[in-house]
Amino acid sequence: MSRPNEREVCVRTLLKALPVLIVPGLLLLVLPQRGSAIPAFSRQYATSCMTCHIAFPKLNDFGKAFKDAGFKFPKDDEDQIKVAPVMLGAEAQKQNFPNSVWPGSIPGMPPIGLRFNSFFQLTGANRNQFNPLTASGSLPQVIPGADFASGFFSIFTAGNFGSGIAFWVDDDISVSGSNGSGGLGDAYLKFVNVGRFLKLPTDSFSVRVGQFELDLPVTQARSYNLSPYDIYQQANIGAMNSMVSLQQNVANQFTFANAAKGVEISGGHQYGGYHYSVAVVDQNTSGVAQSSNASPYVPSPTGGASGGVGFGSSSPFKNVYGRLSYRFNLERDPESRHAVQAAGTTGPHDHTYLTFGSFYLYGKSLQQFLGANTAAGASTFLSAQEPYYRAGGDFNFNYRHFNMYGVYMYGRDQNLLPIDANGMLIPLPVAADGPIPVGFFKSVPARFDGGFIQADYMILPWIMAIGRWDGVNSTADRINGLALAAGTPFFGPLHSLRQRYTPGMQVLIHPNIKFSFEYQFRPQQSIMIEPDPKTNALVAVNPFRVNTALFGLEFVY
Amino acid sequence: MSRLLNIALSLAALGAVLTAGDITGKVAAGKGASVVYVEAVGGKTFPAPAAPLQMDQKSLLFQPHLLVAPVGATVEFLNSDKVQHNIFWPAINGNKKLGHNMGTWPTGEKRAFKFETPGIVPLLCNVHPEMSGYIIVTPTPYYAETDASGSFKISNVPDGAYTVTAWHEGYKNQSKPVTVAGQATVEFSLAK
Repeated sequence: MSRPNEREVCVRTLLKALPVLIVPGLLLLVLPQRGSAIPAFSRQYATSCMTCHIAFPKLNDFGKAFKDAGFKFPKDDEDQIKVAPVMLGAEAQKQNFPNSVWPGSIPGMPPIGLRFNSFFQLTGANRNQFNPLTASGSLPQVIPGADFASGFFSIFTAGNFGSGIAFWVDDDISVSGSNGSGGLGDAYLKFVNVGRFLKLPTDSFSVRVGQFELDLPVTQARSYNLSPYDIYQQANIGAMNSMVSLQQNVANQFTFANAAKGVEISGGHQYGGYHYSVAVVDQNTSGVAQSSNASPYVPSPTGGASGGVGFGSSSPFKNVYGRLSYRFNLERDPESRHAVQAAGTTGPHDHTYLTFGSFYLYGKSLQQFLGANTAAGASTFLSAQEPYYRAGGDFNFNYRHFNMYGVYMYGRDQNLLPIDANGMLIPLPVAADGPIPVGFFKSVPARFDGGFIQADYMILPWIMAIGRWDGVNSTADRINGLALAAGTPFFGPLHSLRQRYTPGMQVLIHPNIKFSFEYQFRPQQSIMIEPDPKTNALVAVNPFRVNTALFGLEFVY
Repeated sequence: MSRLLNIALSLAALGAVLTAGDITGKVAAGKGASVVYVEAVGGKTFPAPAAPLQMDQKSLLFQPHLLVAPVGATVEFLNSDKVQHNIFWPAINGNKKLGHNMGTWPTGEKRAFKFETPGIVPLLCNVHPEMSGYIIVTPTPYYAETDASGSFKISNVPDGAYTVTAWHEGYKNQSKPVTVAGQATVEFSLAK
């Protein structure tokens, strides 16, 4: 038997050191990732991406102020813009109002930005370990050790129509190399500082209408990381495994990662002082897209049928989301402390700051069952709205080139179990020939909690080191992973606490071209759960790590 | 007595003018102005300009983009924008030891710097990487900027033998010997 040569040893060592599995990579392609820098602003203002970004799309303090102001320079915007806007009506038309349309403007050039990214991943030696789960008679999918993948081709446009009315639309045109399989990200109008009409303090009251990411402590839609924040992806699916006595009638697909449709009021600044937002948005606890709700008995959202009133929410109740944060800029000099960026001996820079925030979401998830027939023989159905909430806190600390932030979130869904006429719980799922539900019983709520902590350090203005810990603690997730046959969740957590450690690096090749690397450590995951032959307790069989090394290359223009 | 002294000084000055000439010519380079200047004359020093020169930052631009300052001149840097700016130069004539960072100052204020070393000073802003300006610190007060056609004229250069250098942004400097005896002409063709 020949000894492996040095090269083979290196390759094996690399594969051992970078064991990777494909599913996180696939998830990366499937889950919404819409990091967006806006090259259109670079064109309009003839300025570099670095004016607003640290490593795109991560915003610096000026970028936050630019966004707060409705995609405008906070002061003297008209002096900075290099491509003059097109006036939609003369300025003097304002004097003729209401006998003329209030004049506005559109950007002098179409403010369109495009983005594309591609990925490369390495897969560890245990990449095909789940093949034994393949159903008998079918061939397992073979996962290669290394794989290339195309990512997103996205278009985004944003700007200001004058009078403080800002707009944003982004859309993934292509995903995973498939044409047209993407979707709309955020699309909204924001009426900035409308509080001025009410004599309120400047920037204390703005209104946003459309589809948008909720005002999260740390954005997921415009994240600069390759992998998403796990807690934002967490849906609350109660324990439904019949092997375990605990049953929960909770199937809430709501996650913070998805855009919401509704209206939001907000005020304050992201670059210092207070900031608040309150949003009322549609429910989507079923996980069904509005466009997929094709019942012939309801009007279509676009007016194609039955009058076009629109229908899409999975519950008549509207979610209410609120967030309040306060950022302490820590410079001693008051003038510097209150400026958009701090002054320094070597030039302006992001403030040294500490932000504390909290957020809360309240909703009701609709539960429906076919109930008993009426005396006339018509079928009825039972409805219940399960209250749920998500609450959490966050912090964000920045000192020159070092930035650390974290989010903690707790989720709770009321668990309403169906009961029969005798008040007995009906086993789930409700069988067609089983007892007929007549009501609901409050049982053990479905809970989860978790969060993440991330630290970034700018080694050089073009190199950023990243480290992140993600944790999601959900007993229900683990219970649902307890299965004995095919269909076992490949990434079913071995423990209630599912963790991930993600060191990484981002390198700006140009201000608009970025190379990213992440190495995702995932402690023990289950491959299969079986009863112990002696104790009959459920134990994990052949658990293993699920690690991923992911390389990304993206550009915007 | 003082009248006689004035007459004598006037005659001396007139004599000096009579022994001075112009250097004219043309610089073939890219778009924008070039700077042509007379290199240092051995052992001879010149008084610094009495009034400071101005370099502004406005609309995310250095204005003017190109400023010629004789050695010893003081340049006042302004910020006329409502956004914060910074001015620094990583080197003078490629010498990184001469790099300097002017820091931050509020809108409407200015900071001054006296340039004691001749050379090319590339101005940058560490907040807006696209901003670019140049100060050409000339070793003598004999310099000129080219017009749109690339032509230049350096006036009142005392008769003598000199080295004249042409600079243009993005091009390699070119130096040529010139002998001034009333009039002199020199042509430059700069390459990248």
